[in-house]
Amino acid sequence: MKTIMLVCAAGMSTSLLVTKMKKAAEGKGVDADIFAIPASEMSSVLENKNVDAVLLGPQVMYMKKQLEAELSIKNIPIEAINVQDYGMMNGEKVLEQAFSLIK
Amino acid sequence: MNTETDNNEMDQDIIAFKIISNVGMAKSLTMEALYAAKEGNYELAQEKLSESKQHFKLGHKIHSKLIQMEASGEKVHPSIILMHAEDQMMSAETISELVKEMIEMYKKINK
Repeated sequence: MKTIMLVCAAGMSTSLLVTKMKKAAEGKGVDADIFAIPASEMSSVLENKNVDAVLLGPQVMYMKKQLEAELSIKNIPIEAINVQDYGMMNGEKVLEQAFSLIK
Repeated sequence: MNTETDNNEMDQDIIAFKIISNVGMAKSLTMEALYAAKEGNYELAQEKLSESKQHFKLGHKIHSKLIQMEASGEKVHPSIILMHAEDQMMSAETISELVKEMIEMYKKINK
């Protein structure tokens, strides 16, 4: 089972996206643990959970470089969520994006 | 269950998300502009600031739809996500104003 972590400012806007991604995963018969957290909690969550991919909401996209440093040690890929897919809350597309990162 | 109200609420949620995605981009691009200026790359900083402005304008445009709706008597559903959108929009604007000045400061510091 793959674990996908979404990061945004308050964990709020990404939660609807998480719901839609979970639905898309169900529809595809794919088993995935998908959740959203605020940027401030990332380090502590990573200590306790094995994550396969991290996706950033547009509001925290600028933190990618700093976060990459922490994540590359654990070999966890990180990418900014495609802004169009995010705005439309397109769960299916963002799920695809997450899986394309997990190779 | 009033489906028209539900549809309306859902549309307004999408409006909130479109605002959040645009002003979120605006904020990130402003921060990237600041980081570029820190490295002395003022041209890139300007590009990022211009790009940021485009996203901010778009977010504002979408936001004004809600203002017009309310002004014309149509109900705008108060929701946490909408409050979040408002908050993100105003903080993106504040950050943008400060970053513009900070870039000028970096120009002086980097000399």
